[in-house]
Amino acid sequence: MQTSSKYKAALGVLGVLTVAGVAAWIYQLMNGLGVTGMSNGTSWGLYITMFMLFVGLSAGGLIVASSASVFHIEKFKAVSLPAIILSTVCICCAGLFVLIDLGGIQRVWLMFIGPNFLSPLLWDVCVITIYLVLNILYLVFMTKYGVESHQVAVTSRFALPAAILVHSVTAWIFGLQVAKEWYTAIMAPIFVASAMDSGLALLLIVLVALNAAGWLKFSRDLMQSLAGLLATCIAVDAFFIGCEVLTMAYPGASGAEALAIMGAGATAPFFWFEIIGGLVVPFCVLVFAKNRANTGLVVFSSVLVVLGVLCKRIWLLLTSFVVPNVYGAPGIPSGSSAAAHASGTGMWAVTSSYAPTWTELVIVVGVVSLGALAFLVMARKLLDVKAAPAEAKAADDAAVAGSAA
Amino acid sequence: MTRMALAINTERCIGCQTCTLACKMQNNVPDGMLWNRVITEGSDIIDGAQGVYPDLTRSYLPIACQHCENPACLKVCPTGATYKDEQGRIEIDYDNCIGCRMCMAACPYNVRVFNWSDPVRGTGANYGDKDVPVRPKGVVEKCSLCKERTDRGQEPMCVQNCPYEARVFGDLDDPDSEISKILRTRNTRTLLDHYGTNPSVFYFA
Repeated sequence: MQTSSKYKAALGVLGVLTVAGVAAWIYQLMNGLGVTGMSNGTSWGLYITMFMLFVGLSAGGLIVASSASVFHIEKFKAVSLPAIILSTVCICCAGLFVLIDLGGIQRVWLMFIGPNFLSPLLWDVCVITIYLVLNILYLVFMTKYGVESHQVAVTSRFALPAAILVHSVTAWIFGLQVAKEWYTAIMAPIFVASAMDSGLALLLIVLVALNAAGWLKFSRDLMQSLAGLLATCIAVDAFFIGCEVLTMAYPGASGAEALAIMGAGATAPFFWFEIIGGLVVPFCVLVFAKNRANTGLVVFSSVLVVLGVLCKRIWLLLTSFVVPNVYGAPGIPSGSSAAAHASGTGMWAVTSSYAPTWTELVIVVGVVSLGALAFLVMARKLLDVKAAPAEAKAADDAAVAGSAA
Repeated sequence: MTRMALAINTERCIGCQTCTLACKMQNNVPDGMLWNRVITEGSDIIDGAQGVYPDLTRSYLPIACQHCENPACLKVCPTGATYKDEQGRIEIDYDNCIGCRMCMAACPYNVRVFNWSDPVRGTGANYGDKDVPVRPKGVVEKCSLCKERTDRGQEPMCVQNCPYEARVFGDLDDPDSEISKILRTRNTRTLLDHYGTNPSVFYFA
């Protein structure tokens, strides 16, 4: 590996960021969630946003890898291994974000000895655990027996439905809450669609990077088909979001109020970035075959899609918290650390607002760095082993594509 | 069976917040948090009016846990820390709460508060009823319908202290209770009834 010094530098930087994140988390454990920007009005914030994002990002890898086996898409098999590593790392990050968001993490075991099976959060813990186990099994079988093995084929048949379920259940944490704007049957389809587009986009970015580092041969032909799939997923996501927005707007009732917050209020920058930057622009780029062969444009569109889905998570989560259902001054006792020591009406919030604190941001950067670190270490170790066959396979595919053309 | 409930006469309520403070003192609710509060309905400012001058109205709405018959918060709790007891009260087992705040997202009424940090009390000491458990940081809390008092056969503190006697506490399953009579004879309403939570707190005027 000629990139060894760069690799070590990357590990070093990510390691430092991870340590900073852990330090911030310890600070949060000592002082409570009051060190975050959350309050009684906006009781979920950046951690839950990132949880939703990372559950989604995990999708792309697993869906590409398992559809290679389930639907016999031979050319996807060349990138199955990095795809599964990415999927595993992302779901671990998602799990970490939920744990970090808990106020009483020392009591989390109570969920296992006295579970309430009506809670979508409990379903999510179960499904994410199953999904993680399947990811690890997939990884083990793939490195031990190879991508063509029977074991991988069997695992993939469970992994694909588990992937759909994990996004649906995550959606139901929000979508089953009758009193919030999240309460819509389209929440699960939207989560599946946005998981597929953001996950595929991240996978494309990672594969291009691995290719550039010389860790893996990522053929142009494969990039074009994955980018084509990404364009389709963006279109589906946009369709679902269009359905949701129209249904909210048309009656002109409470949904329209939430839409006003999304369209012109506090969450408007995120909403419009997602619509334009996350859906319209990348779709218009990727819909042309010529652009799908251009690595720069594919990476550009993919970055936009991931950022767009991040923005989607933000407006989706936070819009519902802005205006309390029972409205009136002085509002809700905010409960945040700042408000607890405020004078006059400072402890109250008629409408709720939220901005993450530095502690939250450092913790998020730390978790993402830990994920990147784990990905680098695992990819280096596992791809080295598989480098030769993967390259040969990719070369074969390129040859096949060439002759077909 | 018993189904403990509250009826609040909003015509008698003058928005004095005595119930707010009585609740806070009884239940040892720390600084910056409240289990019960009185809002000026539909207004951006305290004591504000609704409507266009000269056709103005002003109404107050005391709001705390609605002790719903079909509670949104109870279903979503992953550990079952939120439960409904035999008297129809919605209670929290603080030792079981893992602080996920799923219930806060689910509650339509924004009446649940979270101990974001170690609870601070301006007095420097616990001022609540001796039987009320002290809550640590990282757990959710809310109106318990004064569990400790109502278990002893007393009225909730907000009812006891209301200077205008706007609040009535009683058993809905007892047809002779004052609250049952109010429900039979007055036009009562519940908050956000379209969500189907079926609250045990009734408002009438």
